[in-house]
Amino acid sequence: MSTGRPVALVGGASTVWGVRAATWSELVQEAGARLFAAVPGLAAADVDSLFVGAAEPERFAFQSHVAPLAAELLGLAPHRIVQRTELACASGQSAIRSAYAAIAAGLSEVAVVLGVEKMNLPSMAEANTSMACVMDRPWDGAHGATAPPFFAMVAQRHMLEYGTTPEQLAGVSVKNHRFANSNPDAQFYEKKFSREKLLGLPLVAPPLRLGDCSSMTDGAAAVVLVAGEKARQYTDTPAWVRGSGQHASWHNLANSGSLTDWVGMRSAAREALGSAGITAQQLDFAELHDCFTISELIEYEMLGLCPRGQGGRYLEEGQTEIGGDVVVNPRGGLLGCGHPLGATGVAQAVEVYRQFTHSVPPARQVPDPEWALVHNLSGSANVHSMMVYQRGS
Amino acid sequence: MKRTTPTAFDFFPQEESQQTRVSRFFEELRAGRLSTTRCRKDGALLWPPRVACPRCHGEDLEWVELPLTGRLYAFSAVLVGAPLGMEQDLPITVGLADLEGAPLRLFGRIVGAGWERLSVGQRVRVEPFAVPDERVFYRFRVDGGLAENSSA
Ligand SMILES: [Zn+2]
Repeated sequence: MSTGRPVALVGGASTVWGVRAATWSELVQEAGARLFAAVPGLAAADVDSLFVGAAEPERFAFQSHVAPLAAELLGLAPHRIVQRTELACASGQSAIRSAYAAIAAGLSEVAVVLGVEKMNLPSMAEANTSMACVMDRPWDGAHGATAPPFFAMVAQRHMLEYGTTPEQLAGVSVKNHRFANSNPDAQFYEKKFSREKLLGLPLVAPPLRLGDCSSMTDGAAAVVLVAGEKARQYTDTPAWVRGSGQHASWHNLANSGSLTDWVGMRSAAREALGSAGITAQQLDFAELHDCFTISELIEYEMLGLCPRGQGGRYLEEGQTEIGGDVVVNPRGGLLGCGHPLGATGVAQAVEVYRQFTHSVPPARQVPDPEWALVHNLSGSANVHSMMVYQRGS
Repeated sequence: MKRTTPTAFDFFPQEESQQTRVSRFFEELRAGRLSTTRCRKDGALLWPPRVACPRCHGEDLEWVELPLTGRLYAFSAVLVGAPLGMEQDLPITVGLADLEGAPLRLFGRIVGAGWERLSVGQRVRVEPFAVPDERVFYRFRVDGGLAENSSA
């Protein structure tokens, strides 16, 4: 599939993530400072467009019209495109996809993409109300449900249909937390989690325990995308955008169909891998949306890395560890890094660039990676967004 | 004054005919009946009640009554992390139930028994309950369990 002119991701940076003593605006400023430090060739005057991935600033930070605010904080004066994208948990990747589309179409030459969310408030009930808004709020959210009970039902069905075990779920969390222990930006950088410890943590939404769930996190991340012919001005190792796919088909839970067959993810994968001209087996690593442990197991299956129902076994075989088939979530995943909604997809892209340039600690460095896939689901896994990158040389 | 309306509901009531075109759903629910709209042209059963058919994009819809019993397809419970106004309701047990006799899998809160006493396939019954500000909503009730800590 021809998708316009080539587009390259040429650098990026992340703030420290966690329960931060910092406001929404301060997180944006930190991300900007780190971005310009990480990409020395980046001049504010050359940035023609800004895309801001932010899921719920109206609720979490009581602020609308955030793209121009971010532009001011970053010292940018975009004259081509300035906009915010909202797609709940995929708001960040949505911003990257918009920048990619704009550059591929010739509407932008140099675009900054910023992802940000401030989620920790003095009242967690207030934050939980925000999360209920991601669902069909008057009909589903009004029952008091947010993401954990939904993904808990997914886990319950997967256990019932395929015999998946709590130990296998915990295994996802062990792996991703271990990777996060080599990521100083991660919320759980300094926290160690064994399988035994995870299985002893309290239930949040049965069968899911605390360690099966990603966290409410404050954080931001930013990347630069440029038209292909400009890539060498910024880096010797561009990350080329080679493929992209997305799928949305339902929203109210009544219309979800099978909880264990994520039709939309299979569709997005066909689109993303097909447009890149590769198979899932050719990937060197993948940043998959492990909002919950069960999500990552089903994602192995929907990507076609293993047969349906075999996600738990695939994990136990070590196929998603360094040295396995496809390394999954070397950054530490949402489980280890936390999940500031708008920032997650952007930080995953930062990891792609860092892996391609061999600039991460050895404990999480994928050996000589060429192909990477980034995936975000959003809401109740009713939307799937994907991008495929190839390392340039 | 104590605010009692759970805030995952609309900030301002929108169940009356001055506010919504599907007010009949709430009127029926008050009378103990579960209903929704169906497309007269292609027969599509729509949930939640719609005013235009997303399949044929026609607006010729009719109200139909739905069964009040279903079987649990999946369930869980919110043990921590309730939205504002629902903190006192924890644990909030929820589930998806396949209605008996209608092609609809409905999501809702479950009362009558906690999650530890539920099983997939168990029968649930749809019932209306009062929400502050003179609103009504639906939930599932299961029989035979211990009384749950809920507004039941
Ligand atoms: Zn129709």
